[in-house]
Amino acid sequence: MNLTRKAQRLVTRGMSLEDALPTTMPVYVNSVVYLFGVMTLSALGMISISGAVIALFGPTWYHVSPAGRFFNSLHFWGVQIFFLGLVMHMIGKFFMAAWRHGRWRTWIGGIIALGIAVFTGLTGFIMQTDWDAEWISGQSKDAMNAMGIGSFLNVLNTGQVTMLHILFFPILMFLFIGLHVAIVRHESPVKPIEANERPGAQAQ
Amino acid sequence: MSVQSEKYLRGVPTKPYDLLREGLIVLAIVAVIVIVLAILAGSPDYPTITAGEVATKQPVAFLQLCTDYLSGNSDLQTYGPPYTNNPENAQTILGFVSPAKWFGVTIPVDAKKDFILTPLAKVAKIDPTVGSALAAFEQASASQQAAWTKNFGDALDKATTNGSQVVMPQGDYGPVETMMVGMLHLGQAGLVEGALADSSLLPYSLDNTKALLFMEGDLEENVAGQLDMQGGQWGIGHETGNYPGAWWLWPYTFLYQVPAIANSPNADLLVGLIIGAFLLILVFLPVIPILNRIPHWIKVYRIIWRDWYRNYRT
Repeated sequence: MNLTRKAQRLVTRGMSLEDALPTTMPVYVNSVVYLFGVMTLSALGMISISGAVIALFGPTWYHVSPAGRFFNSLHFWGVQIFFLGLVMHMIGKFFMAAWRHGRWRTWIGGIIALGIAVFTGLTGFIMQTDWDAEWISGQSKDAMNAMGIGSFLNVLNTGQVTMLHILFFPILMFLFIGLHVAIVRHESPVKPIEANERPGAQAQ
Repeated sequence: MSVQSEKYLRGVPTKPYDLLREGLIVLAIVAVIVIVLAILAGSPDYPTITAGEVATKQPVAFLQLCTDYLSGNSDLQTYGPPYTNNPENAQTILGFVSPAKWFGVTIPVDAKKDFILTPLAKVAKIDPTVGSALAAFEQASASQQAAWTKNFGDALDKATTNGSQVVMPQGDYGPVETMMVGMLHLGQAGLVEGALADSSLLPYSLDNTKALLFMEGDLEENVAGQLDMQGGQWGIGHETGNYPGAWWLWPYTFLYQVPAIANSPNADLLVGLIIGAFLLILVFLPVIPILNRIPHWIKVYRIIWRDWYRNYRT
């Protein structure tokens, strides 16, 4: 058994070059709603770049440097646009019932990515190392403790929160968003709803 | 095109498309918006509240905080898991759903020792009078310690200030007054947070659990109230100033506005479980009857795909 050959076959069957970098699209992909996903990914790019610069100088850099303040502001507004795109994308996909025709994996992957994004955002607020961080960490610790999560995820431990924010949660988020996008490209965008379409209908 | 896509899209008209062009255009628009907002609006950076600031500006309130820890009357000292061994205080629903209790005390905090006695032992190295007072306190019976501490705590209501110093009325405080003056000086020197760090890990101190717990209470609540950031004011949904906060958590913060939940001693667990259930419903939405039909009934999809229905539907 040649594992590499099997992997090659899996990739080429599941994702052609046209899937990965499409030059044509079904005509029904013609609405501003389809741009919210791209908007989310673009904002994620801005967050990643500004976050990488902040990581070079440390989380308290922005308190003492105008340049740090600027990159912190890029990160802050990038997060706002990211969640705006994410929420709009999710609402749009809900109204399109985009889980139809066997596309439940795409939906579930997206919701899990949303959940991870929320925790990434929370740890980011706590990493601000300002009053917001002081207050939010104190408030969120009660919620975490009540749920038992606080027993191992201590939001008052700045070292732990930092590693979670810049490494653990981003890896998880990129993994699920990557899978989400790969599945969408593999399966292609779901067709419009037909008037007499029944629940659980498969691809026609 | 993958075999699956090809089969799925058979018979569907296609149009020319440029993924990279579209992606770069959207990225450019998002980048411009973010950069303009960053330049014009900046980002929040409201200063932290430190023990030093409180000890200097509100010395009586600082001493009240320290006295609460010394007497064992602070909420933290009966918090329950993961800080103290008071499982009866862990939030519980239906008598048995109590996740905090299941994991037990994983971050032990003895506020009297960690927040007062241990820092004072450090002060004692440079101020022998504090060392003598501390020794006298520790040699006294528990009831005597409690009586001195109570007398001091009660008398704080009548204390006056002279600059950043506190003038106490006459009373039987034993060594507690000297100890508390030692804490006040430690605070005013800006050394409380450092004294609360785990000495075995110094000079590295990445865990601020004890410093952050020390400052919790009425002082922070008051500041949060003035900034509209308390739980009953939509909490984390607000940032300082006019900046947007974590508005995407509004379903979470909304639950804290419901009196039946907000007034419950188990509010955090209730909200956490409701949000957990909500997330599970979202995850399994594709297979939940009725809910997965809502988009079919609301028909917003007819607006989204209006061109398709108008021009291509057969």
